[in-house]
Amino acid sequence: MTRPDAAVRLRRLLTVIPWIIDHQGSTLDDLAARFGIKVAELERDLELVPFCGLPPYTPDRLIDCEIVDGRVFLRFAEYFGRPLRLTPAEGFGLLAAGQALLAVPGADEKGSLASALGKLAGVLGGGDGMAVELGPARYLEPLRAAAAASERVEIDYYTFGRDELTTRRIDPRAVFAAAGQWYVDAYCHKAGDDRLFRVDRVRGVRPTGEHFDAATPSAAGAALFNPRPSDRRLTLLLHRSAAWVAESYPVESVEETADGRLRVVLVASERAWRERLLLRLGPAAEVVDPADVRVEAAEAARRLLERYG
Amino acid sequence: MADRLERLTNLVAVLLETRRPLTLEEIVERVPGYPTDRESCRRQFERDKATLREIGVPIALEALHAFEQETGYRIHREDYELPPLDLTDDERVALHLAVTAVRLGGGAAGDGPAGAGREALLKLGGIEGEAAPTLAALPDVPALPALFDAYRRRARVSFTYRGGTRRLDPYGILFRNGHWYVVGWDVDRAAIRAFRADRIESAIEAGAGGAFERPEGFDPASALRDEPWRFGDEEPVEARVLVGPAQAGWVEADLGAAAVAERRDDGSVVVRMAVTNRDAFRSFVLGLLDHAEVLAPAELRADMVAWLSAMANPAEATA
Repeated sequence: MTRPDAAVRLRRLLTVIPWIIDHQGSTLDDLAARFGIKVAELERDLELVPFCGLPPYTPDRLIDCEIVDGRVFLRFAEYFGRPLRLTPAEGFGLLAAGQALLAVPGADEKGSLASALGKLAGVLGGGDGMAVELGPARYLEPLRAAAAASERVEIDYYTFGRDELTTRRIDPRAVFAAAGQWYVDAYCHKAGDDRLFRVDRVRGVRPTGEHFDAATPSAAGAALFNPRPSDRRLTLLLHRSAAWVAESYPVESVEETADGRLRVVLVASERAWRERLLLRLGPAAEVVDPADVRVEAAEAARRLLERYG
Repeated sequence: MADRLERLTNLVAVLLETRRPLTLEEIVERVPGYPTDRESCRRQFERDKATLREIGVPIALEALHAFEQETGYRIHREDYELPPLDLTDDERVALHLAVTAVRLGGGAAGDGPAGAGREALLKLGGIEGEAAPTLAALPDVPALPALFDAYRRRARVSFTYRGGTRRLDPYGILFRNGHWYVVGWDVDRAAIRAFRADRIESAIEAGAGGAFERPEGFDPASALRDEPWRFGDEEPVEARVLVGPAQAGWVEADLGAAAVAERRDDGSVVVRMAVTNRDAFRSFVLGLLDHAEVLAPAELRADMVAWLSAMANPAEATA
């Protein structure tokens, strides 16, 4: 670990001093835990305090900091009586985290979090113009309940990539929101492996009456999208109007061609997923490789056309 | 290192306590530890000033007296101090759960923006209670703190978006469908507009605070229209789409039950959609693959047939 620089230590000092002034006799242990640092670091910072103050730096003008039996007392530092106000990043970070947690279905809209955010918004200003939506999902609550109680469940799941509905038994370990979706991190008995399921594609949840061992660590939750070397790659030439593809999907490479198009490589192992992408892009995308995917897109278009016959 | 920390602490104390701006010479007299050589002293002071600004200490540069050229530095207490929030222990416990359960930018706690929420919590009285397991990960976008600051100060901003300069009175900030948006009054278009924060191509330039009034009861969630086929300036058209049983439930949940015009015995539904953006509408229908068919109007149905025909015969299309 590198030594924290003066900026980090000064910020910490200007945060800890006001608290001690208001809570004389706090223990070193409590202060270290409260401010997330080691006792030794705190002691090192506090050792410096008696040398700080105002000119002419005579004893009555220096901060008086005493540690007696592990308890800290501070005097003559009234000018450091309040913490520094929040930076924009700090204010935004705290408000965003709080509003996100409050947006989880089932959160208590009148509880401590809501009242804390109300006080914070009052001090920061701006009113109630900030909102975080994590999106509703019909089976979110039964899945969260099952994960919390380590209950094995049977789900009906729509596999988007293959456009099919399957039924499977899963051990849901955790439910979380990421990239605009709710996911269940689970062991899937049908696949015999860890899987991430999108909660909005769950079409039914039934109890099995069985429990699972919650201590088993998960492999699926580590990354939302873990391409395997064997997965199919797709190389596309994208027109400017389709540049969003490079932003919206995890692409393995992007390069601009001489004629101003983008050459992207993405992992697309499921046929329905590829069909959807290519049908939407139409003339804005050209499949460079592999050749059979070019045929797939045309076949899909002909198949859909039959409905309009 | 300790010397510098001591000097910085004294500098903050002196600038907070002074009743008038202090020149560099006066500061050096009052704060021990600056080099005697004038040039290195100035450089050292500039470094100290940068460090203080980095952690958010508001140093004001002001004229010494009215009508005078000479300037000095001070810290106004009202700009420095966090106003009292009077949080209860329970409220601090709740905020601690929030900053641990919600990750911003996917960084580990203590890093970058994820750490910013935690730093804020320390200023509000520190960590209380247990940490929570990760429940949500929200993307971090560099423009957000500046947009948030402009929103709370009611300052007009300008930035580059899709190659053009936009001027906006930011009324609100919204996270939806995995993206951050800033919503407000687009000054040049004289209309409410939403911009995806991650697509802003420049730094945010913000003007003076208190530049506008937010409309009473403004709600960013309803101001940002969710349905992309409504995002457009085309002549509005009501489309009817037949959705097969496998996707009917999801489509109904997505569009709302009010959009359902007809329910068929096989479980399929016919939904109404108000279309002002034909590209986005076509994209929505194609995303449903074999489970959807545009029924009406004839014009949109013909659009779809033309699009699919061009794709079905790529050789002809490029010929």
